[in-house]
Amino acid sequence: MKLRAFLGYTAATATVFVALLTPFLLMGVFTKGFAALPVHVDEVYSGGPRVRTIQMGTHSIDVHRPVYPHMLQNEKPFVELDWRPVSALPQRVSDAVDIDGDGLPDIRISFDVPRDPKAPLRVDVESLNPHYESMRNAGKEKYSRLIVRVDDAILVRVPLASH
Amino acid sequence: MSTDARVLPPARPAPRGILRSLLLTLPILIWSLVMFFHPGANTKLLSRIAAAITVLFMTALFFMMMRTRNTYRWRRIFFVSLGVFFPVGFIYNLILMRGSMGIPIEEMIAGRTPFCFMPIPMLILPAALTRTLIFPGSIGSSNHGIAAMVALWLALTLVMGKGWCSYACFFGGIEEGVAAIPQRARIRKIDPRWRYIPWAVLLSMVLLSLALFEPAYCMWLCPFKAVTEYVAARNALGLVQNVIFILLFAGLVIVLPFLTKKRTQCSFFCPFGAFQSIFNKISIFEMKIDMERCKPCLVCQNACPNVSLSKESIARGETLLSCMKCGACVDACPRHAVVWHIKGTEIAWKPERARLMFLYAAWAMAVMFGGSIIAQGIATILHFIG
Repeated sequence: MKLRAFLGYTAATATVFVALLTPFLLMGVFTKGFAALPVHVDEVYSGGPRVRTIQMGTHSIDVHRPVYPHMLQNEKPFVELDWRPVSALPQRVSDAVDIDGDGLPDIRISFDVPRDPKAPLRVDVESLNPHYESMRNAGKEKYSRLIVRVDDAILVRVPLASH
Repeated sequence: MSTDARVLPPARPAPRGILRSLLLTLPILIWSLVMFFHPGANTKLLSRIAAAITVLFMTALFFMMMRTRNTYRWRRIFFVSLGVFFPVGFIYNLILMRGSMGIPIEEMIAGRTPFCFMPIPMLILPAALTRTLIFPGSIGSSNHGIAAMVALWLALTLVMGKGWCSYACFFGGIEEGVAAIPQRARIRKIDPRWRYIPWAVLLSMVLLSLALFEPAYCMWLCPFKAVTEYVAARNALGLVQNVIFILLFAGLVIVLPFLTKKRTQCSFFCPFGAFQSIFNKISIFEMKIDMERCKPCLVCQNACPNVSLSKESIARGETLLSCMKCGACVDACPRHAVVWHIKGTEIAWKPERARLMFLYAAWAMAVMFGGSIIAQGIATILHFIG
């Protein structure tokens, strides 16, 4: 019984030390430890990793790896394209984009670039390759089908056609 | 009466002397000053004033805990303040940053959704099975990042177990405040089977989150979306979600706590609370009932705001797994049979020592986490006044 009591008090004292060490040491250790885990934010949110960049004169288009939703996730597979910097974009963008890198354009994307960064965006996507879906006047209805402005880029997500 | 030779504590401990109480409070005063006035702390005048008020507030409450030997009453003042000041500071920041409490899809894509602790149990299975975090935030080490909140949760949980729900949760204070308003409960008989609902919500939300790959509770059921942030309604579905949040908040956080004088959202709904109960198993601090003193009169059972005592558990001399270590039962017991306890030690042997050790650890964390939230809320109010 005495040993158990000794262990109990030792653990209680250690608990008080854990509390005292938290802001100076443990928070940093735990945060770095968690950040070092091999986990990533769901690509449906993040858009997946960038695979290449297409230079278009004054601006560039980042092409991301296609994202495939999980199980019952209520989204379609999509590919994200980022136009940046917004300041270098013409008033109306109309670019034919080679997404898969085979030298042929896969889609033609057209959208207006309002000067007001909070103005709503709409996009038209004409599919030139049956792997990609066309979109008419799309806004930001779903993660897999949208156009939004994030910082200094305009992001367009084009759904992949289901076969 | 017992034939045991041990010395039982007096039936009604007298208040501590002022000098002794001040001495016991001194470490918390020093800790609070270090937390709020360390080099690198915010040097803006309003923030300094808010920090000073918070230091005085937290220290005064701890002093009263020491002086009166009463925990629940003073902790409740802190906890309700936390529940009130959190939305004040948080909503103000949201309005300042994005002009609305609704999170636009752009912010979620940019990974700028502040991460709260509620989705933690829902992240575990998808992360373990697919290495994916199903939350539109960022992992990074910023204050609102997932890593920082998980780290904070882990540290506080190691210290307090389910005491998180009494000393750290910035939501529970709202309903505890509402439950404190009426003199008497209008609804007194509560079917004990309601206690299982949080476990059912936890299980269903964990599985649903894995299937849908989204934090299902945050998307559909969190009552506190009504006073923090919510997914901006882009369509009819979003509107339905927001109506659910408001109805759950009104029902579980306002109406039912008022009628029952219990923390009904915490007791009968919160999946995070159920998840946190598991960590009471590893926490070294707990509540015990000294059966040599207990009648049992069930005053403790009625006083518990979380329905964490039953006749059966009292007969076993312990609280249920869901105990939040708020101290209500200890303070309410007319025979001082309910005591703070360190696992492994003899029950009722120097319970005040166990209480002090828990309170130093818990209050240090409360100052660090809850105190900073209160200070932010006070700074926001000062900003509007001045």
